[in-house]
Amino acid sequence: MRIIGLVLTLVLGSTLTGALAAQDVRARLDGRVSPEVQQAVQRIVADAAAQGLPVDPLVQKAIEGAAKGVPGDRVIAAVRALAGRLGQSVTAVREAGVAAPEVDVVEGGADALNAGFSGRQVSDLVRVSQPPHNPALTLQVAATLAALGVPPKQALGLVEGSISAGRSPSDLLGLPGQVQAGVAQGASPAQAAAGLARAAGGLPPGRNPDWVPPGQRKPKNPHKP
Amino acid sequence: MTQGYHPLVKRLLDGELSLAELPSELRAEGAEALRLVGAADRSPVTLSSALDERVMGTVRRHAASPGQRAWRWLNTPRNIELRLRVRPWTVWAGALAAAAALALLVGRPAPEPVPGAQARGGTRDSVLVRFVLYAPGARRVAVAGTFNQWDRAAAPLMPAGTSGVWTTTLALPVGQHQYAFVVDGARWVVDPGAPAVDDGFGRRNSVVAVTTQGAHL
Repeated sequence: MRIIGLVLTLVLGSTLTGALAAQDVRARLDGRVSPEVQQAVQRIVADAAAQGLPVDPLVQKAIEGAAKGVPGDRVIAAVRALAGRLGQSVTAVREAGVAAPEVDVVEGGADALNAGFSGRQVSDLVRVSQPPHNPALTLQVAATLAALGVPPKQALGLVEGSISAGRSPSDLLGLPGQVQAGVAQGASPAQAAAGLARAAGGLPPGRNPDWVPPGQRKPKNPHKP
Repeated sequence: MTQGYHPLVKRLLDGELSLAELPSELRAEGAEALRLVGAADRSPVTLSSALDERVMGTVRRHAASPGQRAWRWLNTPRNIELRLRVRPWTVWAGALAAAAALALLVGRPAPEPVPGAQARGGTRDSVLVRFVLYAPGARRVAVAGTFNQWDRAAAPLMPAGTSGVWTTTLALPVGQHQYAFVVDGARWVVDPGAPAVDDGFGRRNSVVAVTTQGAHL
């Protein structure tokens, strides 16, 4: 009898949570997407929620597709594909040692996967994003670099090199714009990224010549007894 | 006052008996009681109107304000006996439902900043970002993106004279945002001055990265 009560409680609780989430999603989609898209997206969202995936990006994608006048079947396909990438992203981020990843990190990972990065590369990008760097921003920068045409492996190297050279998060966010500026001057995305990677090996702006990146040992002063 | 009198004397005072009807041993007591009652001054008393006002003034001074009365009502302890007959699983179900509702409320996305409503320089977590599009011949231009739920009407650009340049400034939260311009309410155009990524629908979205130091295109 006690076990039946417990099972009933769990079923009721999860049903109620799901019902509330579904109600919230329905309210956000209401009037913005067609009823067919709404029903399909609600199903995808329910599955994603059951897997512990963030659902906000899925709702946003559906709204974006409808706002752009994309046919319903393509909106549904895009939302479903995004749900798949979010699932892969969660796995990759967890493999980097983040047990409970935040929504924007998972979303950044999905963007990076969509841009051509592998799950392992996503894990590497998360792993290298130690404070003050935010893994979500690192992933989004890498995704944007790849979207500009920088090969993922080279984009990964550029981002990792910039972080290990002590560049600030703000410097990191400026990389896509710098690649684009290089492309505007006639370089290929790969050439522009290579130039930035070489520059990243130098000193960050405002640092003294004896500055060393965090985590690296300062060379011993031969003049010091 | 009449507590110590014999019941028959009390009936005498109430007018139910006459003195002659009392037993002889009670007559002296009855006569004394009648004398005492008769000695009382029963002439009508007229109170001055000033006394009335003084009394009411004192009452009003001591009367509690509505707020004090409400506080007293709230603060006065009362004995309440509540007897419920419930099954334990219903209590757990209620607690789970409350927790779910709370999680849903807390987990809701924060409201998007209202364009143009932020102070110059933005708030601590938002930065003013200027959007510019050269669209000669356009009748109206707006910017829609992840920061305004892709609402085509939420952030219109204003024409800068007749040069064909359209601009607007929005307060965007720190983070990376995807967006596109909407020309004449239907044509989606990427920002030629910003990086663009695949939007999942076979088109491109522009990307702006906002940090506390400013926006990066």
